Amino acid sequence: MLAFSPYISSFIDQIIVSVPYFKPELTLIVTFIGTILASLFIDKYWKHASFVITIIGLLLSGCYLLGQGISRVEIAGFFDMISIDAFAIAARMIILLATILIAVFIQQRHQERPLGDLYAVLLTATLGLNLLTMSSNWLMIFIAVETVSISSYIMVGYFSTTKVQSEAALKYVLFGSICAAVMLYGLSLLYGFTGNLNFDAPSHIAGLMEAPQIMISIALLFLLTGIGFKLSFFPFHVWSPDVYQGAPTVITTYLATVPKIAVVVLLSKILSAWLNVSFYFSDFLTYVIIAIAIATMLIGNLAALRQQDAKRMMAYSSIGHTGILLMAVLVYQNNESNVLLFYLSIYALMNIAVFIFIDALEASLGNTTIESYRGLGKQYPLLFTSFSIVLIALVGLPPTAGFVGKLLVFSKVFEQYQNFQSFGLLALLLVGALTSVISLFYYFKIPLNAFLRENTGSPAVKFNMVLLCIGILCTVAVLILGIFPDVLLSAF
Amino acid sequence: MPILSLLIFLPLLATALILALPTRYKSSYKYIALAFTAIQFVLAGICYAQFDASKTGVQDLGGYQFIEQLSWIRLDLGSIGKLEIDYLIGIDGISMPLLLLSAFVMLMAIGASWNIQKSPKGYFALLMVLNMAVMGIFCALDFFLFYLFYEVMLLPLYFLIGIWGGARREYAAIKFFLYTLFGSVFMLLIIVGLYFSVINPLTGAHTFNMIYMMNPQNYLEGSIFGWEGYQEILGVSARLIGFIVLFFAFAIKVPIVPLHTWLPDAHVEAPTPVSIILAGILLKIGGYGIIRICYSIFPDMAALSNWWLGLIGVVSIIYGALNALSQKDLKRMIAYSSVSHMGFVLLGIASLTAEGISGAMFQMISHGFLSAALFFLVGVVYDRVHDRNIYSFRGLAQIMPKYTGYVAVAFFASLGLPGFSAFIGEAFVIIGSFNAASIGTGLPRWMALGGSIGILLSAAYLLWTLQRMFFGQIRLKGGESWSNALTDLNSREQIILFPTLALALLLGVMPALVFNNLNASVLNLVSFIQQFI
Repeated sequence: MLAFSPYISSFIDQIIVSVPYFKPELTLIVTFIGTILASLFIDKYWKHASFVITIIGLLLSGCYLLGQGISRVEIAGFFDMISIDAFAIAARMIILLATILIAVFIQQRHQERPLGDLYAVLLTATLGLNLLTMSSNWLMIFIAVETVSISSYIMVGYFSTTKVQSEAALKYVLFGSICAAVMLYGLSLLYGFTGNLNFDAPSHIAGLMEAPQIMISIALLFLLTGIGFKLSFFPFHVWSPDVYQGAPTVITTYLATVPKIAVVVLLSKILSAWLNVSFYFSDFLTYVIIAIAIATMLIGNLAALRQQDAKRMMAYSSIGHTGILLMAVLVYQNNESNVLLFYLSIYALMNIAVFIFIDALEASLGNTTIESYRGLGKQYPLLFTSFSIVLIALVGLPPTAGFVGKLLVFSKVFEQYQNFQSFGLLALLLVGALTSVISLFYYFKIPLNAFLRENTGSPAVKFNMVLLCIGILCTVAVLILGIFPDVLLSAF
Repeated sequence: MPILSLLIFLPLLATALILALPTRYKSSYKYIALAFTAIQFVLAGICYAQFDASKTGVQDLGGYQFIEQLSWIRLDLGSIGKLEIDYLIGIDGISMPLLLLSAFVMLMAIGASWNIQKSPKGYFALLMVLNMAVMGIFCALDFFLFYLFYEVMLLPLYFLIGIWGGARREYAAIKFFLYTLFGSVFMLLIIVGLYFSVINPLTGAHTFNMIYMMNPQNYLEGSIFGWEGYQEILGVSARLIGFIVLFFAFAIKVPIVPLHTWLPDAHVEAPTPVSIILAGILLKIGGYGIIRICYSIFPDMAALSNWWLGLIGVVSIIYGALNALSQKDLKRMIAYSSVSHMGFVLLGIASLTAEGISGAMFQMISHGFLSAALFFLVGVVYDRVHDRNIYSFRGLAQIMPKYTGYVAVAFFASLGLPGFSAFIGEAFVIIGSFNAASIGTGLPRWMALGGSIGILLSAAYLLWTLQRMFFGQIRLKGGESWSNALTDLNSREQIILFPTLALALLLGVMPALVFNNLNASVLNLVSFIQQFI
């Protein structure tokens, strides 16, 4: 303790200097406490208090972020534990906006019971995700991953009343904690090889180069286990269909979109730091990621073909999209994040819209099987037209933003292929193209049932207008960004 | 006046209007659709009238007419370079006749959908979206824009076949969609490859501009589809792969044997107006794509592989005709006859001679309205008794004399009787492929012979059908109720059929009406490709 005493003042200086850069996250922390207090004391009198505080906090955090974005700071704070760059700012902005939509979704959908705790958990998850996008320190990353994981466990189990839901929550916890443990082991191996916890530090990379081949392979695979669980890529995808189907639709929406954004950003930062050298560990990692991306696309899309339940189908669809995201991650290079960010924001937009529609139908039909949409297209043309447009975007057909996103990702990969002539990249392109054709089959089951088949008895459907409007606005955004992508692309 | 933009986007306005009108005015939807399509037809007519036949087009942007160019998407993508997508439209001698044809066939299709009862709002809205996409395809000169329209076209068709189709409509609709998407997804990869290979000489940015893609000088050295610095993908020349992938994407639309199997299913299940559009316009998009994109962007590969294309053409002609001969369903028979007749288009294109390519273009135009007329005629019987089996009818000539007259004229025109348009198209294709050997484009003379056999076979199946259904004693499967239901053509049907068949006769007598406008462009295309033989 004595040995540290001369440094205390400089530590404090460093912390004081760093605090301003941490404002968006500090806002989240303050809001978190505020939400808990509100749910304890104020919700009794005004039941929307915790919701309003959450939204205000998120918006405020967004304002600080915007300030960072405008001043274009590139700064490292807290002893290099966090580093803020344009990529991190944009990614956090997407996370924040998606979280606001999710919060509104929760508030509109579950009005029958107090939700203060859930908003608090949502805020901690957001905090963890923000840290993930900013950090290049393994310890920080692990803490962030665990923050997100534990928050997600609570969210999945929060509403569980039936056996299926509890099963989903338990599966998620068990699978998640094992993956986290394996990842921690991998991290400890990496620390052992390099003696450094910053994955982009030169000494860290030098250590990776010299590590024994078998051990480094194992360490990297262990690391991918943790990331793979969060991204649900092959072979760590098995939890997602059950959890997606079992969890309430709002939570499924959250799990399918927001955490993926942060983890994709993290993975792309790791890969861009590591892959521009040509050593055993980087080649190994490249091939593993290519293989995983191909397997993920194939398995996600092929398994989706056989699904009868819309939510389960969307789980497999999001596995398939993870494959495309991995393609984008693989070819991500420093300071050229706009393609990746565009795809991520479109992905979030499409998923939120789809789940809002699924949820609206679930609320009135009582189930989420695709069969039950039979003939409803004629009764609810607006809802099903928007639904179909979003599904078209998910397939990746013009004139939607889903097409532009896919085109940009393919272009990036193609450019790399042209530079390196690597067969793996060509295979990625071919599988990516092929799986879009396959995906048409299952996505179009919904319009097929809604429009092409006859109705078997019409249920009385009552939609939540606020949510429906959000869904339709998302659809319109998907269309507009499909025709004028530069509106969004130039913002990054 | 931005005449082409008007032509493309007027239907979108009609869609908006139809969607905005409440359902209680549903009887007005067809009038809105008809009015907008009629305006389009007039606009296309103005294009035809003002068209300068001496301008060349093809790989020369200055030779295009009615050009509109707006910069649309400009993005700095770092290492990929600047993204440059233009809203660039224009027409030359190759697209102009097809544009006019599309407007005409659309008019026919609206006429044929006059009695649609099932949710007319959605029907006419989708039909108008389809109309927009088709017009856009023929005008687009930017590959991105082209692809956009090309894919947008699929969605309304899927629903038009899927919702308003026959018993197996789900199967037919998804089969059609998957076939086309399969081709076009891989086309997208080639588009991306071309994008990285081509540089806009003015700005130095990568571009989707098709005209720039046609000029070998705009290719980067060592780029994947570059002319200099031979590139390979898995041991095969990259340019050849690009050509083949694009060719198959469009050949699925034409369609060629063995990728034609979606066509009979789609036709049989589709409602009459959609069949008319399918046969009259969509098949032409395949032929147009091969000329405009495969041949113009990969002229070297076109010269290299035309023997194979010719072979595919001949196989399609004969296989389609033989299949037509064995069909019992009238609509299926005509669908197979389309496969056969479109084979001529491919054979003509493959000949690489001015006669052959002009003949192919003429055949597309002629087949466009003749097949539309044939499907319309099938629809007439089907509307009345809901049966299309050839053997369910006999002696129709006595009950429906006017109908029989129109059918006879349409059949004779389709089988290539001199004096009708199909004769000119087929004759020119055969002349072209016969001459190809002497010019040295590599197409052997027996292929021309194969084409002639196809004409013979088409006479066989058409005349045999005429004999089976219309002549002899009256014998109907449905007996008395059918003979009451089978009333002769009404005036609406005659208003649609008469101009179509008159046009077949007119173009058969005065082919110059089309050829004059084609000529400069076709000659330019031929000389452009012949440098590479």
